[in-house]
Amino acid sequence: MNALMAKGLLFAAILIGATIYVVKSMNIDLSDPINLITMIGAIAIAGLSVGVSIKYINQMKTDTAGGELAEENWDGIGEYKNELPSGWAYSFLGTMIWALWYWTIGFPVNGYSQIGEWNKEVKAYNAKFEELHKNPSADQLKEMGESIFLVQCAPCHGTTGDGLSGKAQDFTHRMSEGQILATIEKGSNQLGYPMGAMPPMMATGQDAKDIAKYIAGGMKGEQPASFAACASCHGPDGKGMAGMAPNLSGYDDTLVGKVVKNGKKGSIGTMPAFHDRMTPVQVKSLSAYIQTVKGE
Amino acid sequence: MFHWLEKNPFFFSVGVFLVIAFAGLIEILPNFAEASRPVAGLRPYTVLELAGKEVYKKDQCIACHSQLIRPFKAETDRYGQYSLSGEYAYDRPFLWGSKRTGPDLHRVGNYRTTDWHENHMWEPTSVVPGSIMPAYKHQFTNIADIETAYAEAVTVKNVFATPYGDDIKAGPEAWAAYEPKVLAEAQKIADQMKNENVKEAVAAGKVPEVVALIAYLNSLGTSRYEAKK
Repeated sequence: MNALMAKGLLFAAILIGATIYVVKSMNIDLSDPINLITMIGAIAIAGLSVGVSIKYINQMKTDTAGGELAEENWDGIGEYKNELPSGWAYSFLGTMIWALWYWTIGFPVNGYSQIGEWNKEVKAYNAKFEELHKNPSADQLKEMGESIFLVQCAPCHGTTGDGLSGKAQDFTHRMSEGQILATIEKGSNQLGYPMGAMPPMMATGQDAKDIAKYIAGGMKGEQPASFAACASCHGPDGKGMAGMAPNLSGYDDTLVGKVVKNGKKGSIGTMPAFHDRMTPVQVKSLSAYIQTVKGE
Repeated sequence: MFHWLEKNPFFFSVGVFLVIAFAGLIEILPNFAEASRPVAGLRPYTVLELAGKEVYKKDQCIACHSQLIRPFKAETDRYGQYSLSGEYAYDRPFLWGSKRTGPDLHRVGNYRTTDWHENHMWEPTSVVPGSIMPAYKHQFTNIADIETAYAEAVTVKNVFATPYGDDIKAGPEAWAAYEPKVLAEAQKIADQMKNENVKEAVAAGKVPEVVALIAYLNSLGTSRYEAKK
């Protein structure tokens, strides 16, 4: 054993020691095979690098030039005839043939489709989602709805759902007097309810104002007589006759679903449709969440 | 085996060329494929939208926003349908970007509106609490260069055969005849906005940058080809 060998072994021992120290100090769990394999790999790399280095350093010290020179030389600098080992040459040819096979038959250049992979991913995810949320509990729905709300709705309606001082619908209330008056004046036919279009000017002047005040006030107290004009479609309680017309007293699944599907253009501004961005369960959860947004 | 090549610079060069050319073919050929043609019904950007695209470039929106939705579920959930190469056919240059400090904008026209953009460009935190995007108030006073945008439309029509109508052609008379159309389009946007300076400027025949930019942002998405279906 010479001095070089001793130094090399010492160095390898330090590297391996350092590896084990890192594993211990970071509390890496070696029962996980990936961690174990990685550690063995690190130790192997340390050992191999030291061993190979020692071999070549020794060779540099002792080897002398030999072999047959090739014909050509450049200003006295020659080249040994150093034929490629036949094993290397055959494996190289083999990889070329394999590459041709890979491109044309194995995994053809145009044979992979990112879109196809996306389709598979979405299909698998949707199946899992349906399975997981077959019978969601009220809490699950609310939680899911909140996360959807924060991503899809909050940019306009605000993280608390208050509509950011009039920039979008305020979910702490159903409608403001101004919104109701605008709807009465212009009518509405956007959401595709079975009752169909609401004609403009169903009520005017003081009647309209009474109605607006009554609905904006949460439909409490005495119902103004003029509300009869609304009740024929929205129902005497304003709840929209079980989905035949929009609910005036609060948010429900039908209303949220139809606005998400069709978008809405109102006195505040325009809301785009979000129909292709949510599954039915997600819309339901969104509605569940919106119904929990309450003003102080 | 290839020892002789080393002594023949010419054939060596030919060999190098062949190897590199093969890599080139793999990269370049797909651009001529059917998938890179405009998607069915795609319309080119209007002159106002082109002016907005210039604002987008000038204010370096691309530094923080991408315009490319990759086919991963996480992205399609958030941004909408994945992007198709044919959708960029009239983007010269495309503005894919490579950095998402802010969200992707390739479908922003599908889920944001003029009034939202107005609030957001004036003061981003007013609609997105915690947003780190700076305000772009200068866009409400700077005037967009619709004349150059028109020139761009004429150029891409003549050079790349972009399918613009016959009313887009070179010359001051053609521009004088076309300008009212651009202003009418700007008027439609301004009608949905609240800022009085913007409304006044558009009424006076000038197009503030924010109007052009909103027109461009509204055109991002599927509306540029779905309308014709």
